[in-house]
Amino acid sequence: MMSSIRLKPLNWHPYIAPVELSEATPEQLDAMKVTPSAKKVSDYVRTLAHDPESYVARTILFNAIMYVEGGLARPDRELGALGASIVNGCKFCAVVHARRHAELTKSDDVVTALYLDKPERLGPRDAAIYNFARRLSAVPSEATADDIAALRSAGMDDVEIVDLIHAISIFGWANRLMHVLGHAEPAK
Amino acid sequence: MTDAMDKAAGIAPDDALYATRRFRPEFVQGAEACRLAVLQPANDQGLERDLRLALARRMAALNADAALLEEYDRQLAELRPSERIQAVASGKTDLNEPLATIVRHVDLITLTPSRAEAKHIAALAGAGLNNPQIVALSELIAFVNFQTRVVAGLRLLRSA
Repeated sequence: MMSSIRLKPLNWHPYIAPVELSEATPEQLDAMKVTPSAKKVSDYVRTLAHDPESYVARTILFNAIMYVEGGLARPDRELGALGASIVNGCKFCAVVHARRHAELTKSDDVVTALYLDKPERLGPRDAAIYNFARRLSAVPSEATADDIAALRSAGMDDVEIVDLIHAISIFGWANRLMHVLGHAEPAK
Repeated sequence: MTDAMDKAAGIAPDDALYATRRFRPEFVQGAEACRLAVLQPANDQGLERDLRLALARRMAALNADAALLEEYDRQLAELRPSERIQAVASGKTDLNEPLATIVRHVDLITLTPSRAEAKHIAALAGAGLNNPQIVALSELIAFVNFQTRVVAGLRLLRSA
């Protein structure tokens, strides 16, 4: 029996100065409203607001991929995101999506297995998702027809596999922003 | 109507996967809007369309994606690129600044994003890129690496 891993949230700090709200253009202010939790505009959002056009387009797509109704179960999308974030070395994203996976499944088992580097402890469905996420995240992609076959034998239909491809791929994007434009530190 | 993803993944309107993709119109439209936002934005922040396409072509090559590479080549050829832009596209590294620093960054973040550090962003700033350009370049790099993953996945699903 493994003791379960308790992951603490990290804080993210940008390497460049974020847009100051007092100096933002109307387009930047408008773009920053797209964020789902508009209570406080985070450093991350204010950093990306330097190029409001790409920020708005990506946020709409990201939210659709991670939160759209139906299709692939939410924890499976989070596991795809986590697999990609581990390969791409984005610690911040990995912790966020590991925690979300644990919350959604009410279990730390999968996250614990991955953080202790014991992927062999995963069940067949989680293993198929995680292995596909890892191989599709390699550059160039190392995913093969065997990965698709494994997802299908785990009971996934093509709509769900399309959802999973997008969940993994959007972290090929998100990780290359978060881990490139700033760094993560334990929250104080 | 087929889009850039269908085209690169080899999906025709009568393929089952064409209809499966349309089960998620928000992904199809969203990805296309993102493509336009990074490759032909209304405000290019001073990173011009030929440079953006040349970098996209370069990243398609790093991802060994022949179909995307060919498509970016075709789009770039329409712009009659200069020799220095063609050098960027073809993967050369012995370039003048700021292109040398830009392509070094593009190659690093495409191939090994885990190795990104503060000094790499400082190098871009040192080569004269301002903050909007650093963010716009990062979004372009990230998009092409998203696009190549989606296309690789769809291609496998289509033939599996």
